[in-house]
Amino acid sequence: MDYLERQKMLFTEEEALKLKQAVVYIGGAGGLGTHQALELQRVGVKKIYLVDYDKVELSNLNRQVLYGMDSISEYKVDQAKKTLESFNLPTIIETKVEKISKKSKIPTDVNVILDALDNFETRYILEQLAWKSNVPYIHAGVNQWYGQLTTIIPGRTLSLKDIFGEVDTTKEKVSTISPVVSFMASLQVIEAIKVITGRKNTLDNKLLLIDLKDYSVEIIKLQ
Amino acid sequence: MKIKFFSLIKFDLKKDEVDYQLSGSKSVKEIIKLLDREFDNYFSRKLLKDGEIKSGTIILLNGRNIRHLQGLDTLVENKDEITIFPPSGGG
Repeated sequence: MDYLERQKMLFTEEEALKLKQAVVYIGGAGGLGTHQALELQRVGVKKIYLVDYDKVELSNLNRQVLYGMDSISEYKVDQAKKTLESFNLPTIIETKVEKISKKSKIPTDVNVILDALDNFETRYILEQLAWKSNVPYIHAGVNQWYGQLTTIIPGRTLSLKDIFGEVDTTKEKVSTISPVVSFMASLQVIEAIKVITGRKNTLDNKLLLIDLKDYSVEIIKLQ
Repeated sequence: MKIKFFSLIKFDLKKDEVDYQLSGSKSVKEIIKLLDREFDNYFSRKLLKDGEIKSGTIILLNGRNIRHLQGLDTLVENKDEITIFPPSGGG
């Protein structure tokens, strides 16, 4: 028996192999990024790149689940790697202390990019890198009890800017709780699994809007 | 014509959609006036600045951002559906 025994029946052999060989780039090691990394490690992808330039602050601890009090003032990605590697699971954790910019490089072995950023300015930059590298980009954002999610497939879907236009979030201070972030991050990972394995019913050219206050879910077909 | 509200707008208005019967077409600007009448000028405060669409709130007409159509002059018909929401930026 191996540690993936309980998920075997969900995937064909071919799909399981694709997951085992998958390389995922997570842009941001905050609320979304830490939850995504935990889930992807459990799913058993080959490698996770985790990129962030920030250090852990006390106010991060209500939702950034790879850090504890001892992580304060340390680089997020270093602490994330330490926690993830403590589980001794086979997924390779590659980290980089880096502020994502136009000069950033997406490693050539990446199959999918997960947006775990906290502002739209950097999202647009990372999305541009995704288009340049021709790699699917799974966007999500959260605020309070709400979140939205869409998948960008370069050359096949609208871009994030097409959907949202100019969004200025530089002054926005987001308040939220771990379960809301975790919920959205889990949906991104589910979407990543579908994109990696080539399944249908993904959220490309669709915008999923979720309100966990009243559990309303809406999918808007984008054009 | 259906107008659906999401996240913080729905929270502010305590309503998730309104339905208006349009005879002929109306511009988004005129639709905002209709909404303002019902919601105490909430929409012009929330969506407009100096007569333009403020950044930070998305208005989709049948799934297309009106910024990529004719902005506030985009024409809306009775069969159309408008979605209004501020995208969540946190992560």
